[in-house]
Amino acid sequence: MGLQAYLTLAAVVFCIGLFGTVTRRNTIGILLGIELMLNAVNINLVAFSRFGGDDTGMVFTLFAICITVAEVALGLAIVILLFRTRRSASADHIDWLRG
Amino acid sequence: MTLEIVAFWAFAVILVGAGLAVVLGKNLFHSVLFLALALIATAGIFLTLDAEFIAAVQVLLYAGGVITLVVFGIVVTERLVGEKLSHVSRHVAAGGLVAAALAILLLRGISHVPLATTKPGLAGDLTRQMGTSLLTRFTLPFELLAVLLLIGLLGASYFARPED
Amino acid sequence: MTSNAVVFALTALLMPAASFLIIGALPPLRRAGRVAAWFSSGCALVALVAAVLGWRAFAAAGTAEPMRAVWWWLPSVRGPLATVGVLVDAQSTTMLLLVTLVALLVQVYSTCYLSDEPAPSLGRYYALQSLFAFSMMGVVLAPNLLQLFVCWELVGVCSCLLIGYWYRKPEAARAALKAFWITKAGDVGLLIGIVLLHRLTGTFDLVELRHLAETSQIPLAGLSIITFCIYLGAMGKSAQFPLHVWLPDAMEGPTPVSALIHAATMVTAGVYLLTRTEWLFALTPQVLAIVCWNGAFTALLAAVLACVQTDIKRVLAYSTVSQLGYMMAAIGAGFAGAGFLHLLTHGIFKALLFLGAGAVIHAVGSNDVADMGGLARRMPQTAIVFLIGTLSLAGVPLFAGFASKEEVLGSVLHGGFPIPFLMLLAAAFLTAFYMFRVVFLAFFGEGGARREARSASIPDPGSTHLSPPTSHPAAGDSTDTAHHGHGVGSLAHAHDAPFLMTGPLWILAIIAMIIGVSFLVTPPHAEFESPGWLTPAAVVVALSGILLAWLTYQRRTISADALARAFGPIRRAALARFWLDDLYLALYRSVLLVFSRAIGWTDRYLVDGVLNVISAWTLDGGDRLRRMQTGKVQDYVWAVGFGLLVLMAWIGVAW
Repeated sequence: MGLQAYLTLAAVVFCIGLFGTVTRRNTIGILLGIELMLNAVNINLVAFSRFGGDDTGMVFTLFAICITVAEVALGLAIVILLFRTRRSASADHIDWLRG
Repeated sequence: MTLEIVAFWAFAVILVGAGLAVVLGKNLFHSVLFLALALIATAGIFLTLDAEFIAAVQVLLYAGGVITLVVFGIVVTERLVGEKLSHVSRHVAAGGLVAAALAILLLRGISHVPLATTKPGLAGDLTRQMGTSLLTRFTLPFELLAVLLLIGLLGASYFARPED
Repeated sequence: MTSNAVVFALTALLMPAASFLIIGALPPLRRAGRVAAWFSSGCALVALVAAVLGWRAFAAAGTAEPMRAVWWWLPSVRGPLATVGVLVDAQSTTMLLLVTLVALLVQVYSTCYLSDEPAPSLGRYYALQSLFAFSMMGVVLAPNLLQLFVCWELVGVCSCLLIGYWYRKPEAARAALKAFWITKAGDVGLLIGIVLLHRLTGTFDLVELRHLAETSQIPLAGLSIITFCIYLGAMGKSAQFPLHVWLPDAMEGPTPVSALIHAATMVTAGVYLLTRTEWLFALTPQVLAIVCWNGAFTALLAAVLACVQTDIKRVLAYSTVSQLGYMMAAIGAGFAGAGFLHLLTHGIFKALLFLGAGAVIHAVGSNDVADMGGLARRMPQTAIVFLIGTLSLAGVPLFAGFASKEEVLGSVLHGGFPIPFLMLLAAAFLTAFYMFRVVFLAFFGEGGARREARSASIPDPGSTHLSPPTSHPAAGDSTDTAHHGHGVGSLAHAHDAPFLMTGPLWILAIIAMIIGVSFLVTPPHAEFESPGWLTPAAVVVALSGILLAWLTYQRRTISADALARAFGPIRRAALARFWLDDLYLALYRSVLLVFSRAIGWTDRYLVDGVLNVISAWTLDGGDRLRRMQTGKVQDYVWAVGFGLLVLMAWIGVAW
């Protein structure tokens, strides 16, 4: 399969993840969408790395995965905190930055 | 019809399908499970790209760690099955429009660029190369990553500390 | 180059200015009415002395070249755009004499006439008198048209304030505003004329302009418009038809004010202006023709109007309008010298007449001639001086007005205007008639018919009236009478006024006699040869007018009512003042007010409306845009995605 196939796949998954981030009501749902987007990015990185012959991309992907894990942990901690203060995990209720 | 092509298509279909199920599902827990499926499919894609180590890390960390974290998060927020929180009825049209337009643009962009069609040959074991790079060229980011994980650990435990 | 004459002229100019500033700046001085009065009069006396000395110095210098002293006022690259200063020549020194003399006499007279006024008002009066004297002298001595215009406007303002001296009276306030507006209408023309002239010639300076005009360096194209515009300004100030309507109403002011402003100084400013710029008007004979015709017509019109007035001040007011018409006619015929001469003599005897009328009003307590009668017995001095003034006005030989009137008639005839000449002759006849009508009714006979009827407490609207009263029979100086405490029936107690009032009267009368006699002995130098029949004709006209008045009002051989009926329609029109006031009022209401309302509506709803709409839209738009900031992160992510889309499309990644 050529590079184009992998890039196409990654693009599609990225957009699905974007859709999920924008539309989901539950905060954890938003996090799931973000996960998908990060996944797509990883596919991109690995594909470019493989087709380019340089392993730097794969190392990058490694780092990305680890950082993602940290980010999910912190994100969930925030969700729990929000849930404790607001008794709600609905993203619609988090609008204190409202203009 | 080589195995590679079949494998790629299979994993791709599973990935996209699972992704759609994640974002369109009504039940949050089901979404999480479908995410796990998607992550594993991604690992399969990595395999087709000869990135075995990455695939393994993906399964370990993502499918194993992240999903576990999310499940625990759900449990803690006590919104489980029966709670119809994850309604997707939030500006679906706008979101879908932007996502679809972005997809179209990206795909067109991709198709306009001349890209490689065959993988170059492997110059040795990829995993070994990666390990060497990690400890020689990318030592600093590696160490920093460890620090980051520590900070993340501290931060998360601080945020989620019991109220007192 | 300063010389004695210039210094004297400057002194005369600045004395009243100093008086005004000091009285204005020191409230204690202003509030101590009589002190302010004497202070102002003292300054006026110094001004008069300076004017006399200046006149002599200029005459002694022997040169016909005007002298001046100017200071830069508005600087510009090519020399000053405007200057202030004084221009001393034969005309201005002579006019200065008249102005300072009458100003002084009026101020002295007023100390007695207005003695019942509250002190702060008196202070205000004298401050205004000083300011007026200063501004009038500014007009007389102006070296350029710009200073002339500024002082011209200032004169208008002072006259408005002085007419409206008793500002609490609504008629006085209205009259003051009317004077201001009507003269302002003319002043617009003057300003346009001055500006256009500057565009044409590049200078405001009178000496330079004269030089340019006499050496034919002024382009003639468009000059008629300029001179006509300047004439408009003169028309307003000098009460020519149709801008004459303010002068009779201006009689609401105190009588000394009328003597100063509406006899000798302000109204003559227009004539003076035309005399000053005669070399300019000489280049546009068509405009001069208009001036002559309008002047003659005004003279006749005003004379007709004067015949039906019963208020003594209004008779004098219309007479002033009529005489101003004479002056303008002479200028229009091309002989400004004759007009200027008549200006000088008229100034003297008209001031005399007004001040005399003031004495009569002061004594009798009413303006209306029907309330007077037989005053010659009770007020001999006033009767004598008034008679001198009337004979001068009528143009009887031996008295001042005769020579100048004959000059005017001669110049109009010589200038080739036969019909205006006839109009002026008819006006002369009527002048003699109506003035002696007043004399016979007020000073001779038993008179007081209406007074007796009123004191018998029988309301008697029409018994022995000679003509129905004009719209404001005794309202002219009603505050006057209240202040003087003379009530009904004071005719019996009428007596000659105190010396402070009769003194100026005698001075003016003596001057008028001296002028009259000296002109009889050495006739003024005429620039033309008048036909031999002119002098006898003028005398006959005057005497016949006097005869008619005597027969009608003294001997009663001709019934006044029959005379009135004979001229029925004209009389009715004259009583309605030829409906000019109504016309102006209708114009004001239908044109000006409508226009103002339209503009007001436009301003409120269109101009303000546009702004209000814009502001409302801005606020509304802001409100709507604010809702974009929902505070929800997902919307911001969406926005980022959208921005990315736009960016990609713009850069052309996907094309």
